[in-house]
Amino acid sequence: MRLCGRVRKAVLAGWVWLVLMPGLPALALDVPSLSGPVVDVAHVLPPATVEQLSQELRAHEAKTSNQVVVLIVPSLEGEPLFDFSHRVATTWKLGRKGTDNGVLLLVALKDRKVRLEVGYGLEGALTDARSAQIIRNEIVPRFRTGEFAAGITVGVRAVLSTIEGTYHVPERPTVSPSDSDRLGQVLLAVIVGVVIGLLFSRAHRVLGPVVGGGLSFVAAPWLVPALIAGGLSLLLVSLLGGWGLSVGPRRGRRTSGFDETWFSTQRGGWGSGDLSGSFGGGGDFGGGGASGDW
Amino acid sequence: MSMIVARMVLVSLLLTGMLTSSGCGYNDLQGLDEDTKAAWSEVINQYQRRADLIPNLVNTVKGYAAHERETLESVVQARARATNVQITPEFLKDEAAFKKFQEAQQGLSGALGRLLALAEQYPNLKADQGFRDLQSQLEGTENRITVARKRYIEKVAEFNKMVRYFPTNLTAKFLLHLDEKANFTVADEKAVAKPPEVKF
Repeated sequence: MRLCGRVRKAVLAGWVWLVLMPGLPALALDVPSLSGPVVDVAHVLPPATVEQLSQELRAHEAKTSNQVVVLIVPSLEGEPLFDFSHRVATTWKLGRKGTDNGVLLLVALKDRKVRLEVGYGLEGALTDARSAQIIRNEIVPRFRTGEFAAGITVGVRAVLSTIEGTYHVPERPTVSPSDSDRLGQVLLAVIVGVVIGLLFSRAHRVLGPVVGGGLSFVAAPWLVPALIAGGLSLLLVSLLGGWGLSVGPRRGRRTSGFDETWFSTQRGGWGSGDLSGSFGGGGDFGGGGASGDW
Repeated sequence: MSMIVARMVLVSLLLTGMLTSSGCGYNDLQGLDEDTKAAWSEVINQYQRRADLIPNLVNTVKGYAAHERETLESVVQARARATNVQITPEFLKDEAAFKKFQEAQQGLSGALGRLLALAEQYPNLKADQGFRDLQSQLEGTENRITVARKRYIEKVAEFNKMVRYFPTNLTAKFLLHLDEKANFTVADEKAVAKPPEVKF
């Protein structure tokens, strides 16, 4: 009998898995991971070149906050150049969010195609025409003679000097809207939860904190801020209700009920917003740039 | 006592409703309506950008292939037809007008494609730096059109879903009088997916 149950469970699990399987997306070509400013999946650049270029690109980013990344893939695997380039650029989210100052230099070796994908923010400096000129005059001639390292180095430098001086890092780092919005929402949730909870505390000692906490939990953004808001409200209502504070006529009972220590341990950050990976800054791409082949 | 509790329950329910639910999609619908309008403006923007590139292109080609009157004329006419379509705020609700707009733009894409194919036969034209820059600008604009259309399609799908799902369809129909918006059809996608060839 026991075995029967286990077998049934296994079959059920198998069915569930089978049903979920088709939901997995089938991508033409995986977007490589953004390991640094130069992602050489095809291993065509000598390590010294990769190191040198990475340094230059990182320095440029530190100075201007523009994110310029080089990606070399062996083949596009049948996907159109622009589709892949745009997909990679928007997945990596190069450039700062809102400023959209990212550039992707993509080289597909087997297809013999090269593309500069330019973010919204840099389209003014690195226009379509200028991108095409860089590819046509600097990169492609060198690629035709097989000088990939030289072509990419010269191309990157041309890109950097074209956009140099266009964007300046602001003096003070600004708080991103998502963080401050979250904070406001959590505070509001806690305030409302505490007020309502205290209202309920008049009627019922235990119901008050529970209702207050639950209300804050529901009203705050999911999940971590909600938990924090709910916990905080629960605590505040218990404490305040216990100390005799309440909304409306007094009840007369005066017991504290909770330690000071518990209150002091309820500390902790809000949990920062959902920023993308360690490198990409959230920038967006509109399709600007240019392509070429050799 | 129970009256007080009942009142408090009512108050807290109201507050919860205001804070958490989006009021059966009222705000979401309004937000998505604005988003689709913005996405559509972007599409129009990019189509206009393409139309603006054409006079320059026609003049450059004329410099090398003036006798190819028919092809040049057809591009100029197609452009006029495409820019003549009136875009009013009611545009997105009017399926017929939307379709006409798409057809006009497709006509322009076709004429452009023929012009660029023609340019292949003139090596001097192909080598002209000005012409090559124009080609790259056209390619960039076509890519931008692709991205703008894709984003518009996604936004409209979101909006239309909300208009049709229950219970937000009630809010849409009776409170806001919002209806489904026109969207690019698959057939058009296939046609537009082949931009004018820019090969050497």
